Amino acid sequence: MKRLFARRPELRLAGGLFIVLLLLNLILNPVRFAPVNLGVTLGLAAPLIIAAIASMPPILGGRGGIDISVAPLMGLVNVVIVRVLVERAGMTSPFEIVPIVLLIGLASGVLNGLLATILRIQPIVATLGTYLLYAGLTLTISPSPTGTAPAWLKSLAGTGSILPILAVVAVWLLIKRLPIHEHLMSVGSDDRAAFTAGIPVTRVRFLSYVVAGLFGAVGGLSLTGLIGSADPNVANSMTLLAISAVALGGVSLAGGKGGLVAAALGAVDIFLLQSVLTYFNVSTFLLQMAYGAALTVAVALNSDRLGQLLSRRRQA
Amino acid sequence: MLEARGVTLEEAARPIDLAVARGEIVGLAGLEGHGQEAFIETLCGLHRPVDGTVTIRTEVGREAPVTSLAEAVRLGVAYLPRDRRGTGIFPGQSVFDNFAIAALPRHATLGVVRRRGLLQRLRDFRERLSMVYDRPDAPIGTLSGGNQQKVLLARWLACEPRVMLLNDPTRGVDLGTRMKLYDTFRGLARNEGMPLVVLSTEIEEILQLCDRVLVFRERAVSRELGPDELAMDRVIAAMFGQGEAA
Amino acid sequence: MTARWRVSGPVVTLLLALLIHVVGMLLIKGFGTTFGVRAMLVLAALLAIASIGQTLVILLGGIDLSIPFVIGFANVAAAQLYGQGVPFAVVLPGVILAAMLVGAFNGALSSILAIHPLIVTLGTGTTLQGAVQLWTKGFPTGGAPAWVQKFVSIGGTIGPVPVPWLIPFTGVLALGVVLLLSRTVYGRRLYALGSNPRAARLALVDPVRMWTVTFALSAGFAALAGILLLGFSGSAYAAVGAPYLFQTIAAVVIGGTALVGGRGGYLGTLAGALCLIELTTVLVGLGLQPPLVQATLGVLIVALVAVYGRESHVRELI
Repeated sequence: MKRLFARRPELRLAGGLFIVLLLLNLILNPVRFAPVNLGVTLGLAAPLIIAAIASMPPILGGRGGIDISVAPLMGLVNVVIVRVLVERAGMTSPFEIVPIVLLIGLASGVLNGLLATILRIQPIVATLGTYLLYAGLTLTISPSPTGTAPAWLKSLAGTGSILPILAVVAVWLLIKRLPIHEHLMSVGSDDRAAFTAGIPVTRVRFLSYVVAGLFGAVGGLSLTGLIGSADPNVANSMTLLAISAVALGGVSLAGGKGGLVAAALGAVDIFLLQSVLTYFNVSTFLLQMAYGAALTVAVALNSDRLGQLLSRRRQA
Repeated sequence: MLEARGVTLEEAARPIDLAVARGEIVGLAGLEGHGQEAFIETLCGLHRPVDGTVTIRTEVGREAPVTSLAEAVRLGVAYLPRDRRGTGIFPGQSVFDNFAIAALPRHATLGVVRRRGLLQRLRDFRERLSMVYDRPDAPIGTLSGGNQQKVLLARWLACEPRVMLLNDPTRGVDLGTRMKLYDTFRGLARNEGMPLVVLSTEIEEILQLCDRVLVFRERAVSRELGPDELAMDRVIAAMFGQGEAA
Repeated sequence: MTARWRVSGPVVTLLLALLIHVVGMLLIKGFGTTFGVRAMLVLAALLAIASIGQTLVILLGGIDLSIPFVIGFANVAAAQLYGQGVPFAVVLPGVILAAMLVGAFNGALSSILAIHPLIVTLGTGTTLQGAVQLWTKGFPTGGAPAWVQKFVSIGGTIGPVPVPWLIPFTGVLALGVVLLLSRTVYGRRLYALGSNPRAARLALVDPVRMWTVTFALSAGFAALAGILLLGFSGSAYAAVGAPYLFQTIAAVVIGGTALVGGRGGYLGTLAGALCLIELTTVLVGLGLQPPLVQATLGVLIVALVAVYGRESHVRELI
């Protein structure tokens, strides 16, 4: 653990926050965080964790790379599973549903990648377009919360929620062993140098969106498991949370810095923070306020520039 | 006019002293990364020296310390940076905007730019530096490298500086422009008495322009060559650290 | 040669808005009525005012996600204070000034600590909205004085002219912003800093000062939009700004201002706002449900930007 933080200084803050928040939660809320209930608690956090991990690859690619359509994609997957695949097509088997869901994710990733890297539309605008498209389709398919998810999906709410997380982690670990990961990081740190060094910048960035789409689809499965029905409104609020989680974890929005641990840790921190605040039974307004302030303070503390400014003052 | 006293660029490096007089052109030479760039950035306040001070004699004859770039410019220093694309031009902006940016505050009333006066100044510089451009609102990218460099020089001349620091001013410009720039530099020194410090990666340029040259080695001045010592082989020898004993 | 024939961005966007209008008149009965046009003008004016700040911030190379939250804050705070008997002549500047302080904080923090403004503005925006809700316990009271309501009312008139005062006001404001950008030291420095921050620093443009001022202006105009929206809807609502998060960005981008900074201008945004409102109105007029309107808008925004708002390839950046 210590070695990990020494090698990855950007994780220090998120790691420290994690330990403090976990201790707080254990003191305040021993039942919820008891080993027996850990599965259920993880289930609550899983969709956000996956959303954060899915948002990460395009950000790593730099030059404004971002995918704000991850959360609406999760919402779209949710209503497609419940309203279209289960209710209309009568599918129940995971062997039918999971491949279709992954195909939706793939299509979304290809679409975003096409718009943001090949057509070169500024990523925030391109994925804003798909954001609006998915959110609109979701509400059209299911204007209000309804329906039930198949039993095997609902089992993803508890301890089973580890499954989609593990799937995403496994895929990312595989990607890390491939040259594409190295390429993505160098494109993110300096795309001109990477291009001059012969790295196919556009292809690398394109693939980062494809990964985001696939992970987003898995997040949609996880979300459906958690809520057990179709709900068109639950995912959209997760867009900004996912981006916040990524930033809180120390992934630089400028690209080239961060990874899966950072994104996941940021998401867990946000979840734990919400959990602490909910314990105090404060109004959602105070929750929102505390959450916003925590985000601002955390990214400020995590900035490289702050360290430089402080060390300069110490010298003077 | 411009004086550096005991400036050290890193711990344990030999301190550098330099006093530039009116109308003098001083060259800075050295192999890449041997401190000449850090030194010229120290002179203009961009870089804080480990030790020592840089001062400018003001118009009333007082010695004022250079603490930041803003302070240096206020005291009459103009610094022309090296990397034209990285730190010089504003891509996508017009010739006029690229020219006017530094002199804006002196040509403004309550924050509103007096365009006519600035346009007239640009026309003057166009004549004086033989700049070639279509119209003042043409994008800077449509100009040749040499003309872009002339616009950058005009940007700082428009601030009516008392001292000019030039960091590799003829990098990547054509021969004609280069000769024009040399004439301009000489004119500034001889006719207006302006002191110039010129960092150059081309020894030929230093030999043509400068009255004396400081040769840098290992982040300090290894040799200073006066008017009668200025020769290609001596500069090269000093750059490579040979013949210091001689 | 080609440069001479290229029509400027704002003109293209304006022609596009007109084209959409003509399409609307052909497809939808009663689309071009005076009332419809007046409604569109008022909505476009409100969006245009809310987008002033986003334009300035994006020209600088930043982005401001706090705009919807500041709109909500101003909307609720103005109503609440006026309802408590504070004279509106105090409320209006007071609320705008408070918003500008928040904006200044955004800009200063982002530039001093080199944190992406997306995160900073999101953080402060969320905090601000939480604070406002906490203050009003989620049920804001009060409203706007009658003259503010008349000022923005779709049915408002100026003598015989059938538009409310908001329209000429927006025109004057737009002229002011255009002059601010083209004729002042601040405006020229904004473009310089947006197009090359390193060169701007060497040309004595202070980035911290520019970011602080620009984000303060952005919040100030968002607050103004929030107060005008109070007059438009009659009662306060903390989430009234929500649609403006993406609409302001879309208006700026459709208007041809590049998100990388230094290129574009406010006239484009003005035309972009008009375009966006025209599009929405046509889609609603065609009988689409709100979710489908949203989905179609998403596709159209991307299509529009794909036609003329593309970024350059990395090979051209070397």
